[in-house]
Amino acid sequence: MTTLQSQPNHAGDPHGADGAHDGAHGSAEHAKYPFLQHHFDTPHHQFDSAKLGMWLFLATEVLFFGGLFVAYAVLRNRFPEVFSYSSHYLDTIMGGINTCVLILSSLTMALAVRFAQTNRKTGLIICLILTFMGAIGFMVIKYFEYSHKIHDNLVWGTTFYVPPHDAAGEAEAKELSVAPTVSVTLNPVNPAVFAVPTLASTPAVDASAIKQASRAPAGMATPTQMAKAEGLPTGEHDPSFAHPATHLVDKKMPANSHVFFAIYYAMTGLHGVHVLAGMVVIAWLLKRAIRGDFSSDYFTPVDVGGLYWHIVDLIWIFLFPLFYLIH
Amino acid sequence: MTTINLSQPLDTAARPDNYITHTRGFMSWAFTLDHKRIGVMYLVSVLVSFFVGGVFALLVRTELLTPGQTIPGVTADVYNHFFTLHGAIMVFLVIIPSIPAALGNFIMPIMLGAKDVAFPRLNLFSYYLWIFGALFTVSSLLLGGFDTGWTFYTPYSTTTPAGGVIPALTGVFILGFSSIFTGLNFIVTVHKLRPPGMTWFRMPLFLWAIYATAIIQVLATPVLGITLLLLIVERAFNIGIFDPSMGGDPVLYQHFFWFYSHPAVYIMILPAMGIISELISVHAHRHIFGYKFIALSSIAIAIFSFLVWGHHMFISGQSPLLNTLFSLISFSVAIPSAVKVFNWMSTLYKGNIVLNTPMLYALAFLVLFTIGGLTGIHLATLNTDVHLHDTYFVVAHFHYVMMGSALIGMIGGLHHWWPKITGRMYNENLGRIGCITVFIGFNVTFFTQFFLGSQGMPRRYYDYQPEYQIYHVISTIGSYIMASGFLLTAYYLLASLFGGRLAPANPWGGRSLEWQCASPPPFDNFSTQPRVGDCYDFSAIRWDEKEQGYVVDRALDPTLNPNLAAKNSH
Amino acid sequence: MNIASTIFSNLLAGDPREGRTVWLPPPDSNLAANSDQMFWWINIICYFFFIGIVIALVILVVKYRMKKDRPFRTDGPLHHLPLEMTWALVPLFIVIFVFYFGFRDYLNFMTPPKNSYEIAVTAQKWGWLFKYPNGATSDDLYVPTGRPVKLSMRSSDVLHCCYIPDFRVKKDLVPGRYSYLWFQTDDVTPTGWGHNLFCAEYCGTGHSNMNRKVYALSQPDFDEWLVAQSQWLDKIPEEELYFRAGPKLYARCQQCHSLDGTKGIGPSWKGLWTRVSGGEGGDGKFVDGAGYQSQIGAGKQYQTPEDYIRASILNPGEHVVAGYANAMPSFKGQLNDKGIDAVIGFMKHMDEFDTKGKYLKEVPPAPKVSMK
Repeated sequence: MTTLQSQPNHAGDPHGADGAHDGAHGSAEHAKYPFLQHHFDTPHHQFDSAKLGMWLFLATEVLFFGGLFVAYAVLRNRFPEVFSYSSHYLDTIMGGINTCVLILSSLTMALAVRFAQTNRKTGLIICLILTFMGAIGFMVIKYFEYSHKIHDNLVWGTTFYVPPHDAAGEAEAKELSVAPTVSVTLNPVNPAVFAVPTLASTPAVDASAIKQASRAPAGMATPTQMAKAEGLPTGEHDPSFAHPATHLVDKKMPANSHVFFAIYYAMTGLHGVHVLAGMVVIAWLLKRAIRGDFSSDYFTPVDVGGLYWHIVDLIWIFLFPLFYLIH
Repeated sequence: MTTINLSQPLDTAARPDNYITHTRGFMSWAFTLDHKRIGVMYLVSVLVSFFVGGVFALLVRTELLTPGQTIPGVTADVYNHFFTLHGAIMVFLVIIPSIPAALGNFIMPIMLGAKDVAFPRLNLFSYYLWIFGALFTVSSLLLGGFDTGWTFYTPYSTTTPAGGVIPALTGVFILGFSSIFTGLNFIVTVHKLRPPGMTWFRMPLFLWAIYATAIIQVLATPVLGITLLLLIVERAFNIGIFDPSMGGDPVLYQHFFWFYSHPAVYIMILPAMGIISELISVHAHRHIFGYKFIALSSIAIAIFSFLVWGHHMFISGQSPLLNTLFSLISFSVAIPSAVKVFNWMSTLYKGNIVLNTPMLYALAFLVLFTIGGLTGIHLATLNTDVHLHDTYFVVAHFHYVMMGSALIGMIGGLHHWWPKITGRMYNENLGRIGCITVFIGFNVTFFTQFFLGSQGMPRRYYDYQPEYQIYHVISTIGSYIMASGFLLTAYYLLASLFGGRLAPANPWGGRSLEWQCASPPPFDNFSTQPRVGDCYDFSAIRWDEKEQGYVVDRALDPTLNPNLAAKNSH
Repeated sequence: MNIASTIFSNLLAGDPREGRTVWLPPPDSNLAANSDQMFWWINIICYFFFIGIVIALVILVVKYRMKKDRPFRTDGPLHHLPLEMTWALVPLFIVIFVFYFGFRDYLNFMTPPKNSYEIAVTAQKWGWLFKYPNGATSDDLYVPTGRPVKLSMRSSDVLHCCYIPDFRVKKDLVPGRYSYLWFQTDDVTPTGWGHNLFCAEYCGTGHSNMNRKVYALSQPDFDEWLVAQSQWLDKIPEEELYFRAGPKLYARCQQCHSLDGTKGIGPSWKGLWTRVSGGEGGDGKFVDGAGYQSQIGAGKQYQTPEDYIRASILNPGEHVVAGYANAMPSFKGQLNDKGIDAVIGFMKHMDEFDTKGKYLKEVPPAPKVSMK
């Protein structure tokens, strides 16, 4: 129960400017623990509340990503062949290294919490630095993965169907109006007379309309037809062979393959944003640790920061098999 | 006479320091961590937004006086912007934050006898998120506006040339996080900051309602966040998730959107229901009937609200199986609400009812919520919904529940806690007139729209067939009546700030803890330890003439007088 | 803005049928009868509960109002479990009943009979096109009475919704998919009057102007109409095409193209022919900077101005006039060559029409073609 005897007049005292210096308010607990905020009774009370708050925040993160997981499930259900084909374009080894890096960084984070709890400042600082480095490593590997794919135009949307930037690609791109950013209206999907309704959601477009198709979102041709029309080589290719226009010339590529990359970038991209946010959090914890804020009495920020880092790791542990492992 | 006098004297000079006067200056408000000040800032912001949204509503209704163009300069395109903005402002800037952030922030910690919410800095951050969200939404007006309807259905929202769509979506995204953090804060507050003696089933029902609302806020709003993010990305980069020509599905958007937006409507109504529990019991001076049922029905509504989103999509091409399931579960959500209404009515039975302004608002709520809830049956029934979906019948239904119930509940709560928040009493006669005017105007406006809808008039129409005109004219006249009622209310509430009678600690005779501290409360809420008893036991209150307020008679209160046996507890 | 007089004159522009109640328009399909009965039963339940609750409230407030001469009551009961169970379970049973009947009738609505007469429907911003099995197309919906009719619907652009209030049917049209709705109407619509058909899913500027009419004809009349409709353009002599067919076809273009010079979503047709023929205004440009005259003419992409107009109708994205967005849908499949000729003729003879597209001269008596 918050003890509320009559208080000395605190007119002019900006109410809890940072919550940490409430020592003048009568209670012994508050005098002893400068970090104890005025509306909590004991440090344990404050710690419990912070933990509950962070778990609730983790629940919101689960639901936030949950929407994307549902989108993944829906798209995979609709285009199973797209997912089994396109996942070959992801480098499993790089993804695997990233997974290990994140798991290790979770370990160092947990150790950091332990060190904070047991008053070992050096250990805490080292572990926070290691965790931070793990995060950097993750982002570096991710940078390489992304840049490789972006170079080959293995991206979302209509850009997927634009030949990548090499000499032939450049000339082609000049002629085509590349990837409209905001489509003003949808062109009718197949304006031809329809007699018997078919339930296909992607209408077939015959070869003569390919020029149009490669320019506008309406009616995606299979890329092999496209490649033929543009005069690119159309032989059988091993998709793991890193030829620039590989996906465009591969006869085996199913229609709508861009869908895989759309959801891939959405989910791993959002995850990457959370890793960056986590890096900011760890850096802040590091600064406070160096300053000497944490002890066995007060390690709450490290603990809840650790919780956040663990969920970032956990989300990746779900993403990795869904994109890289299952075919 | 052994009375405990827990209020301050009427003499202003002797009035002790309160949260308003404790520190002065813009910075002391802008960087405050005091939940009361944050609540007041939210209140002002929400009421200003309500005024803006209301102006758009009046523009819409005035334009609809005649088929075709009525107001010079208002073309179909401009009209579409008007109704979109009206909806977006009212839903995201007003109704969702209003009760939890404005009233809940102020009252909840005091009702708990606590000094603040669990995370005061997060609370201030939530308020700034609201401000940023509002700024983005306003900025969208300057960048071309948005005309998609507040529901942003694809593919129209991803292809409309209106330039303000992405800023508006960003604004709503930010507002979503304001809501999430508020909910998170409240859940931890209710779990961790209850005083000794206040077990779960001794909490005031307003707190049960806020708690149930917070659960929905925390679990549902992130899904809105990801939906809006996907929409922004779809619009900016054309990833194709909602574009059928790229393998996407426009109906997928509807599933995502309504998965949040249906629970959102319960974020709007549950806190209002909590307020009604307080209003009826306090102003009928009668212990609430069926406490446990009301408390648990709030939780039941929160849980069920996640299972019914598809009833917005019966016509969308959703499979018959899903339609059937959603229809069935939607009916079951009605039951906890009905239980509450009957419990509130029973609270009036053998009570001591005072027909003051808060009680009038509570009675208005009961009537309007009954109509709104009952017309939900037409919409949950599969075959009648085929006829009524996307007509004015739906517009009437949701205005009855969102405005006639949630907003009326909020205004009732505002009147109930006005003396506590401001330390002033408003003019009671004007209060009653304002309530009755709004009630009459509301019914004229929206009951007419039920007929409009069942006769076949679709919604979001700028132009309409001539045979519908008479309904539109009546509805618009009603809206002017309602607007004048709101203006009157604004007038006397503002006037009270400058000349209203100073309020006692307990003007109404309430027993929850907020009535034990001064009006307005001191900056740290209580100067003496509040006592936790049965917050619905009105047997011990007495009117004090000198005080012009209620006080507790020690001899009669079992928590203060150990000789008395405790009243039958719930 | 004389609102009063417009209200009354509009009230009189009413419905020649009987059977409209205060809540619902006359039911005119097989599905309507069940829908209305359900609606009526739900209303009864609502009246019962609402009136009951209001009366109870009035009695409670009057009887238990706090008055100076009345003692302060403290004997109010706190709970009553049997009562709670009653008022939870009774509504539950009622709504389950309501659900069941609604569900049963809904299954009927979702299941078109096998022998339904199928009409293809396309919606786009902002109009409808109804296409019949023999190839005839129409802007309004004509249906035969006495047999089930199934609408097989698709959208060309954004979400639309086909709503016929009198039949109590409604279904969204989703781009990329086909959706269905069916009904059977047995009453022939009075001459010159049709049921309303609305778009009921917000689709932009012209959402409230997508209204069309539904005409129900007896089977023999319908068959006659169908044949005439498929041939109506063909039956018109070449020289009369522009004034007989032009205005009718223009109805589909008017949402975006004005005739009086007002800039809409698309360029106004006023002076259009002169512009594209190299006359006044012929120095206009397309969005890519090319001038009209560099694209239209012998040896250029469009040999003649007629070619350019034709290409604009069938493939509008090819060259968009400067200052406008690429917003026009293609009319390939909706407008045959004769139709295009009619539109081109309409543009050529713009001075013979008023700004609403009405022919200003006397229209000679039509050949025997029934057109509504």
